[in-house]
Amino acid sequence: MKRLRVFVRENSRNPNAIAYTVMAIGALALPGIVQFANGGNGDFLVSLAADGGVYVLLAIGLNVVVGFAGLLDLGYAAFFAIGSYTYGMLASAQLISSPIHHAVHIPFWIALLIGMFVAAGAGALLGAPTLRLRGDYLAIVTLGFGEIVPRFFRNMKDWTSGVNGISALDVPTLPFWITGPWASTQLAIEHNFRFVSFNPTAWYVLVVILIVISVIGVNNLYSSRLGRAWMAVREDETAAAAMGVNTVNTKLLAFAIGASFSGFAGAFYGAKLSLVSPDSFSFIVSITILSMVVLGGMGNIPGAMIGALLLYSVLYYFLPGAPAQATALAHNLGMDWLNQSSPDGWPGIAEFIHRLQFIIFGLILVGIMLLRPQGLLPSRLRAQELKRGVHDESAVVTT
Amino acid sequence: MIGALARMPSTLRTFGGSQVSNLVGLLIVAGALALTLQHVLQHSASFFFQILIIGIADGTIYGLIALGYTMVYGIIELINFAHGDVFTLGGYFSLALFPIFGIAEGKAGFGYVIPLLVVAAITMLLCGVVNVAIERVAYRPLRHAPRLAPLITAIGMSSILEGAMYLWRGPNSLHYPDLLPLTRFNIGPVNIGVKDLIVITFALVLVVVFTLFINLSKLGKAMRATAQDRDAAQLMGIDINRTISATFFIGAALAGAGGITWGLYISSVDPFLGFITGLIAFTAAVFGGIGNIPGAALGGLLIGLIRAFSDSYFDSSWTEVLIFGILIATLVFRPTGLLGMRVPEK
Amino acid sequence: MVRARGLAVLIIATFVAFACGGSTGGSGSKGEIDIASDLPTSGADASSGMPTQLGAAFAVSRAGTVRGYSLKFVPYDDATQGVHDPAHGVQNVQAMISNKLILGMVGPFNSNVAKAEIPVANAAPLAMMSPSNTNECLTVTYPYCQAADGFTAESLRPSTVNNYFRVAAPDTFQGPAMADFALKAAPAGLGITKIAVWDDEETFGQGVANNFAKEFAAKGGTVVDRKSYDPKAKSDFHDFLASAKANGAQGIYVGGTSATGACKARGQMAGLFNPDIYYLGPDGIGDAQCITDSGSMATANMYATQGVADASQNPSAASIVAAYTSANPGSNNLGAYTFAGYDCAAILIDAIGRAIDANGGNTPTRAQVITALGQTKNFQGLTGVITLNAAGDQTTPTLQFQQVKPGSPGTWVFKSQFAVGGTS
Repeated sequence: MKRLRVFVRENSRNPNAIAYTVMAIGALALPGIVQFANGGNGDFLVSLAADGGVYVLLAIGLNVVVGFAGLLDLGYAAFFAIGSYTYGMLASAQLISSPIHHAVHIPFWIALLIGMFVAAGAGALLGAPTLRLRGDYLAIVTLGFGEIVPRFFRNMKDWTSGVNGISALDVPTLPFWITGPWASTQLAIEHNFRFVSFNPTAWYVLVVILIVISVIGVNNLYSSRLGRAWMAVREDETAAAAMGVNTVNTKLLAFAIGASFSGFAGAFYGAKLSLVSPDSFSFIVSITILSMVVLGGMGNIPGAMIGALLLYSVLYYFLPGAPAQATALAHNLGMDWLNQSSPDGWPGIAEFIHRLQFIIFGLILVGIMLLRPQGLLPSRLRAQELKRGVHDESAVVTT
Repeated sequence: MIGALARMPSTLRTFGGSQVSNLVGLLIVAGALALTLQHVLQHSASFFFQILIIGIADGTIYGLIALGYTMVYGIIELINFAHGDVFTLGGYFSLALFPIFGIAEGKAGFGYVIPLLVVAAITMLLCGVVNVAIERVAYRPLRHAPRLAPLITAIGMSSILEGAMYLWRGPNSLHYPDLLPLTRFNIGPVNIGVKDLIVITFALVLVVVFTLFINLSKLGKAMRATAQDRDAAQLMGIDINRTISATFFIGAALAGAGGITWGLYISSVDPFLGFITGLIAFTAAVFGGIGNIPGAALGGLLIGLIRAFSDSYFDSSWTEVLIFGILIATLVFRPTGLLGMRVPEK
Repeated sequence: MVRARGLAVLIIATFVAFACGGSTGGSGSKGEIDIASDLPTSGADASSGMPTQLGAAFAVSRAGTVRGYSLKFVPYDDATQGVHDPAHGVQNVQAMISNKLILGMVGPFNSNVAKAEIPVANAAPLAMMSPSNTNECLTVTYPYCQAADGFTAESLRPSTVNNYFRVAAPDTFQGPAMADFALKAAPAGLGITKIAVWDDEETFGQGVANNFAKEFAAKGGTVVDRKSYDPKAKSDFHDFLASAKANGAQGIYVGGTSATGACKARGQMAGLFNPDIYYLGPDGIGDAQCITDSGSMATANMYATQGVADASQNPSAASIVAAYTSANPGSNNLGAYTFAGYDCAAILIDAIGRAIDANGGNTPTRAQVITALGQTKNFQGLTGVITLNAAGDQTTPTLQFQQVKPGSPGTWVFKSQFAVGGTS
């Protein structure tokens, strides 16, 4: 007990510890709270939260590439696409219509790992030719890659159904040793725990477990030799090489490991949505994930997670809900004329609010960078850098 | 696997600067040309020339936009993602200005040359002002921040501009009036539209005038000096902020002119037009050699031609892959582009 | 410390905000039954999705109750950034499925959204009633479906019980009807023998363009050029038009919708072609946006098919049509599929009523609603008398031809309509 108290006191001033605690409590409490608040009809919010978990996974992965190793990646959605398509092709009837004429139904849990390795392989493959590029050039190449990959999937009609995408994907099934031989009886503790679209809680639990695994894994990497090598490369590649860091392997591993999380996320996303469509991985997705990492605090794992949660809730919950709320508000205020569109160009308040969303998204991005460039919960090390501006060679350091 | 991949870059590195990479590049280009030629021969010559003209028209407009990217990158090493949307804004501004000057569909003729040019001038001015304001608000405070910061504000400004146009004129595409003469004439087997010629001439004149300006004027010299070494330029008495503002202004004015030309050429504008067009123009800037002004014009022209020929002689669904493949290949094998000079990595 | 605490507050606020969304509605005498809709109602697609949603909403509010249950209309928007998005549609369907009060949905509007949603709704199951989907492979497995579209009617229905129905005529009618019309000699048709065809690479556009091209070639015409363009990347059609002209095309058929830029190519034809060159398309181009995009080329030689009948040609629908237009005045509230949307909602309500009867006056299950929906016979709709077959199609859908009436601005006007044979 005393030990616990000491532990709590030691960490009560550590923002990361607080963030982890709050997120853990929130994650546990969320399903119960939303069901209670909506009178048992809160499933759609649990489902929305489970979708948000995908972005948390992606933010954790991109944080490895951008935050830890300092490699600017503007095409992260490409790996997300690779992960999703890997699952889509390996766990559906899709490959019947492909040249191999046989459906492949690999169980979710194995496909998850395959997706991870395929995405990691793609990360290393992309990383290899770009290793000698730095900074902006790397960003541009990843941007090009991010544009090419979804188009590639879109064009490979025989394998991916092209623009129609892959639907009716397999759902995960729990192995019998978890559900137990009593699975189909009343004795089963989790007899409702099935991965179907009308039971979002199962998906929610799954994504939370995936996130917990990822966080533990990334935290270990961060404090390992490799994690220190990443930071060394990020700070000064030449110096790192001089100190004996194998910069090539270090950067390749950053790309590969960062991409592997999007393989995770992609498989989960495909299975939950039951759809993989080439339009879901556009540039805006890469930018959104990058903004999440930057908003939360680059290089800090709980920061990236919080950034993902906040931006996700704004972009996918508040903004889409705003038009309907504005309509209801106008109605309640007796200003129904606001809801009607008129020929002189007023589109009705719902459409007007909808049209504001691009400006709001832009303002969020500009606002974060101007007001709090280090993010909400920055890594302490990076916060120092940003204040002093060591990255600006021309200002302080002479090269 | 990692080990094998790790060895790969060193081979690439030896490729990069050497004659071998040039040879490989030449072989690829030669192969592509031979393949194109084979396809071209299956169609008539007059069709070939028609596509050629379309490619040149698109290409000169891409060149106009690419100039802005390349200048801004040259001077503050920032990919100005909002630049493509400033281009679209040119179309929107001019559309709003037309009624004021009594210009409308079907009123083509010499009497409207002057009002059209006035609209173009005002549009260029407005676009320039918008871009300078963007630089002031979103980029200047971050000049000493890490690279990522201005990159994200640039994307944010792009979204704000798109949103502003979306809010202003609605989500649908707008029809851009046909103001240029629609007559076409034949030179031998070649069928040419007067419209195409005007578009190409207008864009080319702007590119040439601008290149001369950069090379000959005092401001141009200041820009080049700032691009080369900002601190040294400052020590020499160049007002860095003013020079950067001027760069943004000129780049945006050219993009605005590009927006008008594009509108006149393809008869429609929509709020998101600038995104993909901007990315393609940016590819053109990289292809020609980022930071290099004639390079951007040349890159734009080549990308326009590649696009037109790929769309009509090959499969259009692979055109984007081809263009972004060129982007990646340029940066990996020849980061200086076609005309760029090797600069040390800053 | 202060910052950390502030952060904690921020995180909690996010969770709370998530928690407090939505609320349950009021109750009727026996309870409440919800009818959802999934249509693109924001952005560029709003001009087609919104009037359809209004039509469905009007049907629900007009009915008010069914067998003592109060009815509520729950609209969803499947557009992302103003364009219909299959992924968004699936998320909507998943949300509908988790709302136990929703017994059926009106929609979706676009065939690619339907293709993504059917498997999810089918597994639940949830009844779908689309006013405007026309891709033929959604309901019937033709031999070419797997190869051309990558899906078949069976592959979309994992439970093997059909839950998807529609009122619009499939593209096996829409494409060929236009092809026949184009080929026929002057007074009865257009007398075109050479045509260039392009599509917007969507499920719908590609499918209808293929159907058109197949019929056109089979009946003796020549398709001189056949292209597919991604509307996000392609805005300059001069090369396609030049190729069409070089090959002697007398007209162009587009498989696409105005929201994906189907009529931008028409606008660029000015100068290159005479204004009397033909421009033909499916229901996707029969709206005001197409006329805007066409500019000076919005001539009388533009024709479009519509997959449903024109309700204003139906005398028995006149009073409801008048009631709708007085409740929703303005031309932008009246679209080609407004009354198809009305009919879909009305058919769904009718089916729910029969399902309640079959269930002894109690709230029916979703599966019972689907069964009742499949038994819809001789339903007196605004767009005609509707009987649904087992595959999900109308037995005798109606096809309508529209033509542009030039003016400023020009409008699409009714030309003719006729019933086409069913698919069952």
